[in-house]
Amino acid sequence: MKQKTNITAKILGMLSFLIYFFLWAPVIVIIVFSFSGNKYGNSWDGFTIKWYAELFNNVAVKDALVRSLVVASITVIVSTIIGTITGYGLYKLHFRGKQFLRTSILLPIVFPSVVTGSALLVFFTRFFQIPLGYPSIIIAHIVFSSPLAVFVILGRMQRFDWSWEEAAMDLGATRFRTFLRVTGPMLLPAIAASAMLIFPWSFDDFVITYFVAGIGSTTLPIYVFSQLRFGATPVINTIGTLFVVLTMAALALMYFVQKKNESI
Amino acid sequence: MHQPTVAISPQSSRQERRKLFLEVMTYLSPIIIIVVVFVFAPLTIILFYSFLKSGLYGEIIYTFSLDNFRALFGGGYGKVFLQSIYLAFQTNFFCILIGYPIAYYIATYGGRWKALLLFLVIVPSWASYLIRLYALKTIIGSKGIVNSVLLSLDIISAPLEILYTPFAVMIGLVYAWLPYMILPIYAAIEGLDSSVLEAATDLGATPARRFFRVTLPLTKGGLLAGSILVFIPTVGEWLVPQLFGGSKVMMAGSLVALKFTSVGNIPEGSSLAIMLAATLILILYLTIKWGGREAIERML
Repeated sequence: MKQKTNITAKILGMLSFLIYFFLWAPVIVIIVFSFSGNKYGNSWDGFTIKWYAELFNNVAVKDALVRSLVVASITVIVSTIIGTITGYGLYKLHFRGKQFLRTSILLPIVFPSVVTGSALLVFFTRFFQIPLGYPSIIIAHIVFSSPLAVFVILGRMQRFDWSWEEAAMDLGATRFRTFLRVTGPMLLPAIAASAMLIFPWSFDDFVITYFVAGIGSTTLPIYVFSQLRFGATPVINTIGTLFVVLTMAALALMYFVQKKNESI
Repeated sequence: MHQPTVAISPQSSRQERRKLFLEVMTYLSPIIIIVVVFVFAPLTIILFYSFLKSGLYGEIIYTFSLDNFRALFGGGYGKVFLQSIYLAFQTNFFCILIGYPIAYYIATYGGRWKALLLFLVIVPSWASYLIRLYALKTIIGSKGIVNSVLLSLDIISAPLEILYTPFAVMIGLVYAWLPYMILPIYAAIEGLDSSVLEAATDLGATPARRFFRVTLPLTKGGLLAGSILVFIPTVGEWLVPQLFGGSKVMMAGSLVALKFTSVGNIPEGSSLAIMLAATLILILYLTIKWGGREAIERML
């Protein structure tokens, strides 16, 4: 019997290793070739860091990076605020049409990016006349990020100790004041989780941005796409490597902060 | 603040309702604006455009016509839609097939490494989607690593031409969406009540029988949640068929993107987008009806 479980564990372990390999192989390839001297970035040709030097001197990359960071930061701030108050309202208030509203909020998550992107493009260019560029990109990102924030925060609220809030309201605080002083601070972990989810989502979004960006507003993914059209370049590999390293660092940081919070 | 203690009179109930309305507006007006102005309005507009026609130079002719939808049902576009759904089914199937073992392994044998093992599933999916897909494309390409290894081991005599086939598109789709299958399945297995499993063993079930009769049915919710997370976005995928299928393998999303960005035929693109959205809503509706609300609730 024991023998049998061991065999199952070993087989499953080997399968899992293969799946991990499948998931990581492209990432490893990106990292390795970012240090390769080969100028097409697709085979090994001696160790070099010159592509990193080239990356840091590349003005187009810098522009695109700044644009992506601005878009993602504004998106995170606005959609997290919207997500928090919406989550709170949906959890606390009972009114007719609530289910309909919840379902409608899901729509931008369910719809494929091409549908959201094309509908917003037509809307911005033929109806609402919002200039393509920062305004249209940021609005589009808020449209698809806010629902995510709503559901992340709503999910956390369902496993939440509400007696604190009742205590504050029993002691005479208004609901709004209670929210600002008691509930809001207690929701901070959920807010942080939704921000951590939305930032990479917005930063990495290609399809919707591609539709609504217009000419000249190149975010980092759009820059990468335009470069990849002419085949991979080593500079793209360095961008990919930095992506992996930075996300891993952010995740590790998040993990340790969470651990620390739990132990307190 | 004093609470009303008397039975609610019509007037106070009106006041209550007013108060509720004000509160709903305070908390929910931003999301209502987003949903109405930036989701419903754009959809209505493309629905309107989908009944128009495009002129020779991409200008819009304002006459009612059903031509776009007729082209969809009669011509090659319908086939592309079916192909998308078929590819999404295949992708979903393979995601379950390879996602279940790894989720089971992490949940059952992960021990104190659980967090790290999950971390290793998630990290790749947070590192530039576009660059990873491109790297995968070069790996399976005709001069890629897979072919050079197989060639040097003399397993094949000529490089396999995988790219630009439906199979390549499916590999890309599985690669892109596998983590979204693994996580809900993992959560479902992790949430299993171990006493039920022990009971099955005590009652004499073999491990295989226990898996198929107890574990698998009890984790159905996770499978369903994962399938929704994988299937729905896969049907509307554009980037993966663009990279792995080129012009040879198209999916519904590629058609929409093509009409809007390269061809510039807004009415036709709109009708395709509307049909795509309608297809997905129908699929989601059927899934909820078939699988119950529970899976959806779990997902949120």
